[in-house]
Amino acid sequence: MTSDSLLKARQAIGTALTRALPEHPHLNWHQGLSSEAGLDSVQIMNLVMEVEDELDLSVPVDLLAEVNTLEELAERLAALIEEQA
Amino acid sequence: MSLFDKFQPLAAARATLGDVSPAPIATPIEAVLSATRGRIGGKEVLLAGTNNYLGLTYDPSVLRAAAEALAELGSGTTGSRMANGSYDSHRGLENELAKAFGWSSAMVFSTGYQANLGSLSALAGKGDYLLLDSDSHASIYDGARLSQAETIRFRHNDPENLDRRLERLGADAARALIVVEGLYSMLGDQPPLEEFVKVKERHGAWLLVDEAHSFGVFGERGLGLTEASGLLDRVDFVVGTFSKSLAGIGGFCVSPHPELELMRLACRPYIFTASPSPATIAGTRAALRRLVEGQDLRAQLHRNFNRLYAGVRELGYRMGSEQPGPVAAIILPDRASALHHWRSLLEAGVYANLMIPPATPAGLNLLRISLSAAHSDEDVDLIVGALAEINVPA
Repeated sequence: MTSDSLLKARQAIGTALTRALPEHPHLNWHQGLSSEAGLDSVQIMNLVMEVEDELDLSVPVDLLAEVNTLEELAERLAALIEEQA
Repeated sequence: MSLFDKFQPLAAARATLGDVSPAPIATPIEAVLSATRGRIGGKEVLLAGTNNYLGLTYDPSVLRAAAEALAELGSGTTGSRMANGSYDSHRGLENELAKAFGWSSAMVFSTGYQANLGSLSALAGKGDYLLLDSDSHASIYDGARLSQAETIRFRHNDPENLDRRLERLGADAARALIVVEGLYSMLGDQPPLEEFVKVKERHGAWLLVDEAHSFGVFGERGLGLTEASGLLDRVDFVVGTFSKSLAGIGGFCVSPHPELELMRLACRPYIFTASPSPATIAGTRAALRRLVEGQDLRAQLHRNFNRLYAGVRELGYRMGSEQPGPVAAIILPDRASALHHWRSLLEAGVYANLMIPPATPAGLNLLRISLSAAHSDEDVDLIVGALAEINVPA
């Protein structure tokens, strides 16, 4: 995985966070999204929809089941970006 | 560490509703007295939180057909459609459903949940794609989980958002099944169906419309939003349920593609379950006849929901749908307010539904009122009057 795609993924998540979860401005990138930050599945799905728009990329729903933190999401997205490049 | 630990967050969420009787979730209904009256908490109430849109639960033709079948064919089939559970009446209902749509094929399922579970999982397999509206019912999401297809969500009621996702699939869009609902049960809103059809046609994809809450409600013959929008020749599958307008239990998938017949051989939620009981099938066939010819019922239902929407709007409430329909969702600012509204209505003799996250989209707290053709003007006025008395519009 190149640092370029990871950077792109992180930036997209950052932008998506401000749109989808303005009420959670200080999410830690290594915090469990549901277990620690207390996000519900709808909030996480909405965040991902914003990321999809930002990257112009479709994220399979299955991928979400394997993602616990924002950093893990960034890594998955980076892999998708490269797959589709 | 216990297997039950994972339920603790749900238990905590339920606890915030308080330990009072009658409970707002899974409310015990002590007796049902008619299509619109029941007894809750020892008191007779107006039922305004059912899915009995045409009010057929006590229709004499439905009751008679079900009773006769119960006596003649017994209480259950005791088997799968693939084994000993395929009676003439199951095929009869399938033929009648297909004929109502003017299509070649129909399959009957034991519940509406299984109709989605079975249709999605069988139609979209490995290497295929499922494109789901983000506000889809749990049965659609669960069908996607059972399927081995790659599942992608698009923004609720947003054909342009779907278009972008199909564009990314390129030629693979020909292996994509789009799923939308004719009426979304939480907010009561409807999709821009013709726009979705155009997007599907542009990409050569397939479209399934779940008419669970719109069958019986819209269209000259009650076939749903697809019929009402003049799109019967442009969609690939319609899924529906027997447990709302048809006043029974079960579900169906109907299609203009004769290959639907082949789905019986591969559809696990159809094969590995007992077929609907003879009484259920007979009652549903009678209800279907009444539904198709039920312009009078639809006229009354539309009169009722237009009256309710007008009354609720006048009170200043924010609603889940601009367009009036059989589901009127009042959006309340928080859980406590939604609960207060629910209790106040019940005290005034009106049973509606309290809907809270995670069952609702966008974390909304809702008071959901559903109407029936069996309601009268006075019933609708009773609901609006009870809301007016609550005195704290959102």
